Amino acid sequence: MIYFKLFLMFFKLCAFAFGGGYVMIPSLIKASEANHWATAAELTDVIAIAGMSPGPVAVNAAVGYGYKVAGFPGAAASFLGIALPCAIIVILVATFFFKVYSHPKVQGALYGLRPVITGIIIYAAISIALKNNIIIAAQDKLIFKGVYLSIFDYNILEVKSIIISIISFVILLTTKISPVFLILGAGILGVLIF
Amino acid sequence: MLKKNKNQLGEIYITFFKLGCIGFGGGYSMIPLIEREVVEEKKWVEKEKIVDIFAVAESLPGATALNTSAFVGYSVAGIPGAILALLGNMTPSIIIVLTLSVLFVKFSTYTSVKAAFKGIYPVIIGLISYASYKIGKTAIKDKTGVIIMIITLCCSLFLNMEPIPLIIFGAIFGIAITTIRSRNLYKSHKPPLGKDSVNR
Repeated sequence: MIYFKLFLMFFKLCAFAFGGGYVMIPSLIKASEANHWATAAELTDVIAIAGMSPGPVAVNAAVGYGYKVAGFPGAAASFLGIALPCAIIVILVATFFFKVYSHPKVQGALYGLRPVITGIIIYAAISIALKNNIIIAAQDKLIFKGVYLSIFDYNILEVKSIIISIISFVILLTTKISPVFLILGAGILGVLIF
Repeated sequence: MLKKNKNQLGEIYITFFKLGCIGFGGGYSMIPLIEREVVEEKKWVEKEKIVDIFAVAESLPGATALNTSAFVGYSVAGIPGAILALLGNMTPSIIIVLTLSVLFVKFSTYTSVKAAFKGIYPVIIGLISYASYKIGKTAIKDKTGVIIMIITLCCSLFLNMEPIPLIIFGAIFGIAITTIRSRNLYKSHKPPLGKDSVNR
């Protein structure tokens, strides 16, 4: 039965996706090819919609893919497949975690872990800038209507984007303006200047 | 843990529904949004604890955004809290993705949509930078912390290392260094290295 198969596939993908939703995408492509459920072009559509919609990329991809393959029931089955492992694992770990939280060894581990998380988050910001060709863009991938600061053949950064990044950082730091308005405003600004 | 009641569960659902609506760009962009809502506005979780929740949620398998939501939900109101946070976070995704799929809209081919996203991604970068600043302020208390952070950043930038091994190394190093410090304290009856800065 296809619904159960979809459920099982996303359950497995989610339970082994160490490192977040994007890790899941290559495995999804492989599993999809093995089952002949969707063509490469359909899958590209699903991933594009998943990437541009707000919310967790893994959930977006699962729901979109389930719908493509088997309509609304397919979407529901995939959704359950993605949600259940997260719920089960987090509830188990959280129960345990809050019991051992104040143990000196756990506090020791967290002492080393917190700076690591800080480093990983800084890296996440840098990698989004790289992926969207905002810093160090290849010559053939420059942003249309972008203004690049280049040294020799290297396009170091795209000026407009960097200015938006810095302004939004300062606004977040100094005011209580909700990020929602920043995102909406930036969408409108993007249409005007790019 | 705070008092569990229907109102609070409803509030958890609505809070994570809102976060799901604006969480463009995956799990990391949700961090500052969750921080602002859960720590500053609702005061459900303390500043220090939220960093630890992010750390643990990140090292579990599955979507980072979902894990973080469920973890925060659990810490506020136990298992029902975790489930409602998950559902709240997923509802907007389901509605938006299904609508886009049903309408078969190839939004990404419109130039204006592309331009809007070119404006949005720099803000996401600003958001995530803000998250690292806020978390760094709580997470890094001494020079050792700064060094660990720089090493992590270099390992992921230049060696393409995945978060999980880095997190495991960080935890082992943290246990080792705090153990050594407490032994030194026992031997010399002096405060351990960095103790003052920890209390700063």
